[in-house]
Amino acid sequence: MSSFKLVWRNLMRRPLRSILTILSLVVAIFLICGLRTLITTLNAGVENADSRRLAVMSATGLFVELPMKYQADMERIPGVELTTKFQWFGGYYRSQKNFFAQFAIDPDTMFDMYPECQVPAQEIEAFRQDRTSCVIGASLAKEFEWKVGDMIPIIGALHPHPEDKAWEFRVAGIYHSDVPNFDNRTMFFHWTYFEETLKQGGVPPGVGVFSIRVEKGANVDDVIRDVEDVFHDSEQRVDCATEAEFQRQFVTMFGNVPLFVGWIGSGVVLAILLACVNTMLMALREQTTDIGILKALGFTDASMFGLLIAQSLFLCVLGGALGLLVAWGTQGMIAERLGTMFPGYTIRPATFGFAAAVALGIGLLAGLVPAGRAGRLRCVEALRGTD
Amino acid sequence: MLVPLSYNLRSLFVRKSATLLTVLGIGATVAIVSGVLALQQGFRTMFTSGGREDVAVFLRPGANSEGDSQFSRDRGLNLIKSVAEIEIGESGPIASMEAYLAVLLPPSRGGVTNVPLRGVQPMSFEIRKGELSIVEGANFQPGSDELIVGSRLVGRIQDCYVGGVIQLNKTPFRVVGVFEHPGQFGGEIWGDLDRLLSAMGRYGPNRVIAKLRPGSEIGAPDPVAVMFSDDPPDPEPGSLAARLLKDNEVPAKVYTEKQFLASQTVMLTFMLAGLGIGLGVIMGLAAVFTATNTMLSALAARTHEIGILLAMGYRPVPIFVSFLFEALMLGILGGLAGWVMALPFNGVQAGTMNFQTFTEMTFAFRVTPIVLGIAIAFSVMLGLLGGAWPAWRAARLKPTDALRKA
Repeated sequence: MSSFKLVWRNLMRRPLRSILTILSLVVAIFLICGLRTLITTLNAGVENADSRRLAVMSATGLFVELPMKYQADMERIPGVELTTKFQWFGGYYRSQKNFFAQFAIDPDTMFDMYPECQVPAQEIEAFRQDRTSCVIGASLAKEFEWKVGDMIPIIGALHPHPEDKAWEFRVAGIYHSDVPNFDNRTMFFHWTYFEETLKQGGVPPGVGVFSIRVEKGANVDDVIRDVEDVFHDSEQRVDCATEAEFQRQFVTMFGNVPLFVGWIGSGVVLAILLACVNTMLMALREQTTDIGILKALGFTDASMFGLLIAQSLFLCVLGGALGLLVAWGTQGMIAERLGTMFPGYTIRPATFGFAAAVALGIGLLAGLVPAGRAGRLRCVEALRGTD
Repeated sequence: MLVPLSYNLRSLFVRKSATLLTVLGIGATVAIVSGVLALQQGFRTMFTSGGREDVAVFLRPGANSEGDSQFSRDRGLNLIKSVAEIEIGESGPIASMEAYLAVLLPPSRGGVTNVPLRGVQPMSFEIRKGELSIVEGANFQPGSDELIVGSRLVGRIQDCYVGGVIQLNKTPFRVVGVFEHPGQFGGEIWGDLDRLLSAMGRYGPNRVIAKLRPGSEIGAPDPVAVMFSDDPPDPEPGSLAARLLKDNEVPAKVYTEKQFLASQTVMLTFMLAGLGIGLGVIMGLAAVFTATNTMLSALAARTHEIGILLAMGYRPVPIFVSFLFEALMLGILGGLAGWVMALPFNGVQAGTMNFQTFTEMTFAFRVTPIVLGIAIAFSVMLGLLGGAWPAWRAARLKPTDALRKA
């Protein structure tokens, strides 16, 4: 009888137990993939940041507006190639549960600054022509079944329309992005429309964030220092940071959440490790007589150690592989459910690797104690009886 | 006749290692779920303990949070004068205009975070009498560049201690006191309304709060229902809320403070509850599998004994009950193990961002009796679910077959 067959037969001695153990592993590995992806998704913005792009915001906080005139001052700084401005609109479509981000932007510079925001050329042109129009992300278009030409009413919670009604935007184009730090669930509309409408109510808008692109070859640190210095004595001081740093600051705002996710993950691993050890100890107890016989027949201690370890590894590798498959298969569904709260949920190859290593580790650890005992069992004792 | 319970307790003890591993496995599952629930409880305690029924919050119509809302100073004053439901104290209406702004400050853990900064008028302290107390140093002097910080910020955010200096735009403010508040304010920085507005270059307060005369009704619809409905409910006709919304001078949206706070935290509450339930179901499945395995192995080892019991005249139902009881014991022990693992987290401080206000909230894990109750109920359920199938199999054994097994 080949050794694989021996392993297989032993596992099939209690098929239900093997299946339940495998299912536990499926659950654990699925959870590990999911939890770890929450963390990697959070950090995706940092890793994918463009090193030549800078973000400028008020040194006081994201909610403090900067004067529009700052843009011209920044463009005079040596090393600055392109600038563009954003303002958070903070509105919602019909009710707050339909939340998505909207930004007032400058259509002449925004698409140059963010080539990852892909819009067909004629749609960009249409957008530039019509100042009450907007471009929306592909996921947004899908979710609300909006298409080019539709009118979207948005209630301005943060920037109420001076005529006390909803703002209306015509969809001029639909954008696509393949990078995780530029989500597909945002609406961009004309700065001029924003500015002119707000001026009717007597309050001109301010700028939330300016983006700067640094010339090739220019020293990024010098530009950052110059930008902060220029506005040191102006009405609002600014904080200028690379895109990566800006994203990192954002991640730190999640505070202890990544740590908690880590704790939960450790708890999952612990629970499943205990379950597997339990299964393997039961297996050892049942196979004690067999091991006695095999040893009496001349099988070595090492091969008995291997017999138990192989069973444990088999369960964990199979369970782990199925768990990876489930995690991979449910990825799209989970991404959809997480929506705006957590855009860009995609499991990375490294995460799959990590989860596979965890499964393998559980298999080895869970097999170790019973396998050690099996190896050390004395033939006579083993033959004398089970519990 | 039932099988004596001591039989089950002894057999759990005989199979020490399997019992222990199962109990710890269930325990870890229960501890994780309890941890998430404890977080939700801490979060809830913090917000509901600050939410009062006799305090009204006035926002600009259409605004959904303090950050969205904005009044000019004149309009704020006008509002306070015109609302008859506001209680009048010795020095005028008990109402205060408040400015609210998230400022970027460095937490001790590194990085940056948005800390809520609140500019208040003296009447804010009159409204918070009994809730808020200065525990170190003194209150800020009205009109000065002084701040007081909530006790939950001390040690978490740099410079938040008496004597610390916090730079707000171009003006340095000195921290002169630490205050304690069980609700959200305990995680905020407070200062003089006008000084903060001028330092930040803002022109008006964000909201007005007021103490209501006893017996006044606001009549505002449930803000959570408003948030989640495409066709939001209207305020009660003729009520203060309905009247103010259509006011010609200063239109405003008004809630009781309790309603307002519920609306500010509904998303995070939903998320934590969803996380707790999701993890509970998924991890619970694995725990049920483990319990089933353990009980099946107990059954296999004791088939002969069951044969004896059956031969002695025990009926299948008592055998079923007996096995289920054993599984129940596993569950309860697992629940207790879960308590032991979860309890050390009680009181641990946590900080994260509230998406709705975009500010950092600091709160503590609270392993409340509710959490403990849910934990034990959950573990009992895991035990029973895990034991059901093995118990059924045990009850269905034929005495002759069972006795034949060694």
